[in-house]
Amino acid sequence: MATLAPTLGQQAPRSPRARAVRRHVFIYLGLIPFMIIAVGPVIWMAITAIKQDSDLYLVGAIPFWFNQPPTWKNFDFLFNNTFYRDWIVNTMAISFWVSTITLLTAVPAGYALARLRLPFAENLGIAIFMTYLVPAIILFIPLARVVSELGLQDSWWALVVVYPTFTIPFCTWLLMGFFKTVPFEIEEAAMVDGCGQLGALLRVVLPVSWPGLITAVIFSFTLSMQDFLYSLAFVSISEEKPVPLGVATELIRGDIYFWGSLMAGALLVGVPVAIVYNFFLDRFISGITGAAIK
Amino acid sequence: MTELSAGGVPPSTSLSVAVGGRVGVQSWWRTPTARRYLFGYTLLAPAVLYVLLLVGIPFVFSLYLAMSDASVGVPVAHFVGLENFRTAVENASFYTALRNTIVFTVGAGILKGLLGTTLAFLLVQAFRGRKVIRALVVIPFTLPIAVSVLGWKWMFDSQFSVINWALNKAALIGPYGSPDWPVWLGQPWLAFFSVMFVNVWRGFPFSAIVLLAGLTSVPPEIIDAAKVDGTSFLKRFRLVIVPMIAPILFIGSAFDTVFTLSDLSIVYLLTNGGPDGATEILPTLAYNTGIRGGALGRGAAISLFLFPLLLPAMIMLLRTLRRRQY
Repeated sequence: MATLAPTLGQQAPRSPRARAVRRHVFIYLGLIPFMIIAVGPVIWMAITAIKQDSDLYLVGAIPFWFNQPPTWKNFDFLFNNTFYRDWIVNTMAISFWVSTITLLTAVPAGYALARLRLPFAENLGIAIFMTYLVPAIILFIPLARVVSELGLQDSWWALVVVYPTFTIPFCTWLLMGFFKTVPFEIEEAAMVDGCGQLGALLRVVLPVSWPGLITAVIFSFTLSMQDFLYSLAFVSISEEKPVPLGVATELIRGDIYFWGSLMAGALLVGVPVAIVYNFFLDRFISGITGAAIK
Repeated sequence: MTELSAGGVPPSTSLSVAVGGRVGVQSWWRTPTARRYLFGYTLLAPAVLYVLLLVGIPFVFSLYLAMSDASVGVPVAHFVGLENFRTAVENASFYTALRNTIVFTVGAGILKGLLGTTLAFLLVQAFRGRKVIRALVVIPFTLPIAVSVLGWKWMFDSQFSVINWALNKAALIGPYGSPDWPVWLGQPWLAFFSVMFVNVWRGFPFSAIVLLAGLTSVPPEIIDAAKVDGTSFLKRFRLVIVPMIAPILFIGSAFDTVFTLSDLSIVYLLTNGGPDGATEILPTLAYNTGIRGGALGRGAAISLFLFPLLLPAMIMLLRTLRRRQY
């Protein structure tokens, strides 16, 4: 009885602090499995990337630890024995040109749809966005014809032509939402000051819209990096490949997997992309769910 | 009065004639509205043309290809009607692929929905380190897909699978070589499960973040009002939260369905449809038939079978997007 009384007394008016701690413990316990599932594979990839080959195949050893000292050998192999340098250069070049094409087309389109009170603007905007949903798997065979007509098969330029088919619809939609948030007054003020419609767009609206433009560039880059099918179907020459395709196809020779270099090459590009994407994820979500209009 | 009016009328009529004349000369395309339209459609033209040329026309072209005997290296294709569709339907591997595609999409969709909802309800709470944990949990979705699939391929390795190592240490399975040692990508059912698991792994953060956006868009006043009214948690959930997040949940799963149906990289890189067709899905079948096998027409026909599966998701998205506009 004597021992029961204090516990009962304690339980009834639980202090707010104790409640907060209990709540946190509860939430963290719920989140731990998700964390392990989400991050575990990436950590395992990173460990593999800097392990010695012989260490990977040590039977009986703890795989999460270094039984032999860590090494940069896998990265050496990647840069000296494969076309990894070319793949990085290709990836950068593709991203640059895709971003340029996307900006040159999606910025004017987004602006026109959002600001010029055109008839059918909303429906046209939705129609353009719907093309983002026509999947690559339906388009890649006819596009293979287009690519070969243009003489671009087996060149990364094929991807520069093809990637805007999904970056333009997405970025037009995104920028349409963005331009709606730019106040009309600054444009009107510019036009009162003697700017034409084009002048107002170039000199006043674009300079204040740089966050939207940067977002469009980021998505041109991250969405291009998510592609696998187009590069697989259109580019088969080793030195023309972008990084994801190159790593996935060139580091497996017959039955031999260069696991260390595979993981090194994958993460070296994958992690920066994931970090950048992470910062812009909310924009992506609000963009596709239509909540960009606010 | 009459003088004045008489004197006043002629100038006013001449003035009105002058104005009328100017309006008559000035065609409608010189009015400010028309010029705004012209400017607007000029700005729209590059994007619309690009999409039309490289999405619209190829889409129509794929319908034509699907009804032709086009193949790689043969410049002239002949119209063969529905022959390709018939050949596809008569092929047993097509049914396997169709069944796998449906089971894969629906099964993975349900799992992603459940996991995503759980995660969203955890992440919507206020707690320390919320931002960091959120950023870590979404990594599977933000990592380029080919990259993460390679990681999984290594984890599903037949001998050095880290998953098997952990299961073995937990005494759930025997050592390498024993009959209960799972060869993840080598046994039909396990391979199907593995492929689906990787899809779920990649997609659940997306479902969670979409739902999180829905949950945070429920104004707290509404929930507070319901609390004051004395409704129980379950009732609040059912009557207030669910109706408000349901549209977002639908959008999320519709997008996810589109992503899943059109994704080839997981299956292609992990199993390429094997073992023995156990993980064959329509995208891999279309790729292997159309590009690898060179039968462009038949490949196009197979990939078009995805369209009826995609259509419900796309219609749902179209309707929701429309409703949100106004």
